[in-house]
Amino acid sequence: MQVRDYLLRRLALLPVIMLGVSVIVFTLTRFTGSPVGIYATPNMTPEEIAALEARYLLDQPIPLQYAAWIGGLFRGDLGWSGVSVAPVTEVIGLKFAATLELAIAAGLIAVLAGVALGTVAGVRRNKAPDHGARMFSILGASTPTFWFGLLLLVPFYLWLDWFPLGRSTPEIFSSIAHPTGMYTLDALIALSPGAFLDAIRHLILPAVVLAFGAMAIIVRMMRSSMVEAMSEEYVDAARAKGLPNKVVIRRHARRNALLPTTTVIGLSFGFLLQGAVAVELIFRWPGLGQWVTSAVLSGDQATIMAYVLITALIFMTVNLAVDVAYAYLDRRVVLGE
Amino acid sequence: MSQDWLLKVEDLSVRFQSRGGDAHAVEGVNFEIQPGETLALVGETGCGKSVTARSILRLVPEPPGKYVAGSIKLNVRGKGVVDILSATTKEVMAIRGERISMIFQDPGKALNPALTVGSQLAEVFGQHRLEMILAAAGIDPSKASRAEKRIAKQRASFVQTRIFALTRKKKAETLQKAIDNAVARSLADTGIPNPKKIMKSYPHELSGGMKQRVMIAQALACDPDLLIADEPTTALDVTIQARILELIQDMQKRRGMAVLYITHDLSIVREFADNIAVMYAGHIVETGPAKEVLANPQHPYTSGLLGAIPHRRTPRGELAAIPGSVPQLINPPTQCHFASRCPWAASACKTMAPALHTIQENRKVACFRFDSAEDLLIENAGMPTPAKLAGGN
Amino acid sequence: MTTKTGKMGATSPRAPRKSAGTVKWARRLEVGREVLRNPLTVIGLSIIFLFLLMAIFAPLLAEPNQPDPYQSPRDWSNIDSPPGIAGHVLGTDSTGGDVLYGIIWGSRLSLQLSVTVVLFTLVFGTIVGSIAAMKGGRIDNLLMRIVDVFLSIPELIFALAIAAVLGPAFSNIILALAAVFWVKYARIIRGEIIKVKQAEYVAAAKVVGDSSWNIYRKDVLPNAATPLIVQATLDMGNVVLIGATLSFIGLAQAGLTEWGALVSAGQSGLLAGEWWVSTFAGLAIVLWALAFNLVGDGLRDVLDPKTEGR
Repeated sequence: MQVRDYLLRRLALLPVIMLGVSVIVFTLTRFTGSPVGIYATPNMTPEEIAALEARYLLDQPIPLQYAAWIGGLFRGDLGWSGVSVAPVTEVIGLKFAATLELAIAAGLIAVLAGVALGTVAGVRRNKAPDHGARMFSILGASTPTFWFGLLLLVPFYLWLDWFPLGRSTPEIFSSIAHPTGMYTLDALIALSPGAFLDAIRHLILPAVVLAFGAMAIIVRMMRSSMVEAMSEEYVDAARAKGLPNKVVIRRHARRNALLPTTTVIGLSFGFLLQGAVAVELIFRWPGLGQWVTSAVLSGDQATIMAYVLITALIFMTVNLAVDVAYAYLDRRVVLGE
Repeated sequence: MSQDWLLKVEDLSVRFQSRGGDAHAVEGVNFEIQPGETLALVGETGCGKSVTARSILRLVPEPPGKYVAGSIKLNVRGKGVVDILSATTKEVMAIRGERISMIFQDPGKALNPALTVGSQLAEVFGQHRLEMILAAAGIDPSKASRAEKRIAKQRASFVQTRIFALTRKKKAETLQKAIDNAVARSLADTGIPNPKKIMKSYPHELSGGMKQRVMIAQALACDPDLLIADEPTTALDVTIQARILELIQDMQKRRGMAVLYITHDLSIVREFADNIAVMYAGHIVETGPAKEVLANPQHPYTSGLLGAIPHRRTPRGELAAIPGSVPQLINPPTQCHFASRCPWAASACKTMAPALHTIQENRKVACFRFDSAEDLLIENAGMPTPAKLAGGN
Repeated sequence: MTTKTGKMGATSPRAPRKSAGTVKWARRLEVGREVLRNPLTVIGLSIIFLFLLMAIFAPLLAEPNQPDPYQSPRDWSNIDSPPGIAGHVLGTDSTGGDVLYGIIWGSRLSLQLSVTVVLFTLVFGTIVGSIAAMKGGRIDNLLMRIVDVFLSIPELIFALAIAAVLGPAFSNIILALAAVFWVKYARIIRGEIIKVKQAEYVAAAKVVGDSSWNIYRKDVLPNAATPLIVQATLDMGNVVLIGATLSFIGLAQAGLTEWGALVSAGQSGLLAGEWWVSTFAGLAIVLWALAFNLVGDGLRDVLDPKTEGR
């Protein structure tokens, strides 16, 4: 019951925050030379531009402009993307799916590998695996994602040619239908092993690079919560019952250590979104990150603004989901102990 | 010396590595527990009684601890004698929870907060009574599948359990029922009302007394020969303390189980212990039948301890505390560790370590006062002799 | 039982309260010594010191280019040369710019960037957070909602949007980062103030007549100093990381001797086998961030041991 209340409370906050985000984005748009540039398509006649200006109340005071802009948003008008030569709303879906696929793959790698490494480090505290894990963590937090990506590109792409750039090989890609917009899923649905392999080959390197930074945080959190869990009395009590060491670690210590780690998983998703910008740029991955980097270089305001809005929305939703999951899992928190 | 003993601790020495050197937590400890006996291991915090208790189940983490010397022999009925300290891991795991069980001070901390109490109890059955559970579910233990065994042991993953429940609905139900019944019976045995409901609860949903009952149920699930109770009442309300102790005594009588109480609460000793062993700074300094030792303590530390307990006849304003403090245990000098606080210390006490001597049948003390004056070359002839002390403090 | 230690004047209600004040310096020395006991922290500090020297003595280490020292001098006869040739210790990029020059002068930019941003955000964030917590009520609510909004946009993305709007320039990167990074400090100080507010001894102090400002100075700040300092140290590294990413994407002016921009400049060469530009420039970034992370962690271990599972 309390979980639901908590969920409702957080859900109620979401629109408020999105409103705040919209204010910030709107403010940024007014900083550009010509706010109408967001909506203007190339080759527009002066009359059309004037009509746009009237429509969006660009000669009116700021609050009215804001209202007009929000109105446009709700009508589905996010402006014209110069880099994609199309309305933002047309292209954003596909880009979003591409980034989502990358982020999920990286997230899975980061969580699975990070939890495993952190567990070992915590159990073998102050021994070799622990030191290795800590070094890994701190390097992960100090290495710029774009540089790491370049570093891996040279051996794996240039020398070994194991992993190609981009998202797919065009012939294979067009051989199957794309209901979800995520190549790997589409390949599974179409039961095409060739497409699936192609998808994975392209996905693996960028996903690993992206996962690196997130993994660093997860390993560190998992390690410290494992160390804490291992020193708890219920671990001794479990041993005293005659349970084998592996069971004690897995079922008793780790299960409790995973709890605080889930909060970090939400945080690391923010890292994934950020890292995606550089990763998509370097690996030519056609997602939101690559989209916005092109936009930045060509002054495409509509794309940038849409990008900020959608990223904030995704980030908040993920954090909400993680917090609710945490509240559900840690019954002590929910029941107020 | 009868051969019917249940547990024999011989010359146990446990040390802990620390930055400044090795801390001698337990030194040369000897004691015996008979089947059905209630022994209280008494002493103040840090005297080594908890380490001794955990050593019996080999629970001391090894680093930083190490079992430097000694043996802990368990007389397993029908199987002979096992030295726990030199046994294989498998043998030790078979003993833990099955021949020797332990309950801990704070049941709130000793129960895993992420699992239901029923699940934790079921683990014990899964580990030590697997065949029984499987048989109760109508499964032939020798033909049981891995999934069935894992579920019985509470080790199946979430996914595995769900798949099993879907694909073999009937079997899953009977298996779960068998587990639940065993758990419920165990809980009911300790007087817990409504065991089916309690089983599904998480530790934080239960009261302190209830949690301790659950721990006791868990410890006694496989009918062990020895129960080690490490400060079982310290974390409980006074009103519940008595009930829990009576419960333990009751279970003890019904099953003929021995109990080792680790405590600093002398009232427990008075009411429930047959024998007492007093520990100080890692050594046992006095042993004997509880009633006699409490009425007539022989070791200066014991008498100091008893003198420190306020009771009705203590004059107002006087609380006799033992002056000084427990000595540091890192690389300790060879001497009686109580010498600096002992009102009867002689020069010999500061240069040699006294061993446990039998001064009467069943009574042992580690103090030089019970050696003859000639052996020790003591100048101070005014030192009190055992005869003078026999009249009480 | 312990013997009673009497403290002079501690029991008199009129005497000035002795809080963190007088023992502060002794404690600081103690902390300093403890921090230095960790070899990793010492390594971090050394690296920082070296970078500091590099930045300060840049003109001596590498002859400043005219008119703008932050543009590499172009050696058109030696473009794309590997390390060690023609006096270019670390090689040159595709326009003949010396890599070592870029790194040395880039350290100045990194120093500028991190110090400016961290100083500003620390002060600004602390002020905002303090106001929010001290005033409480609706002001607190409003300010914290603003903080929430800022936190819902990932840092890099937010800074990217701001820098893009302002135009590609290093100074705009500084502005963008400053606008984004202050929220963490506001949260930290607000949390500390609320904690202190709820502590009993503050109620006692108020009864005695201590002013809010005094309480703030003596009880809140010393306690809050720890997480603030740790965060500031870590941010010294983070700011440069994100700043480098922004210049990598292209939000700094062309040809700037900024480490991220250098990595970007070396990108095309990478695929042709010319690894030195991107690698060395990137290494500089890693070392900088690593150093501050090591020191920040070391500080955190000593000052707030419960956050690290030692």
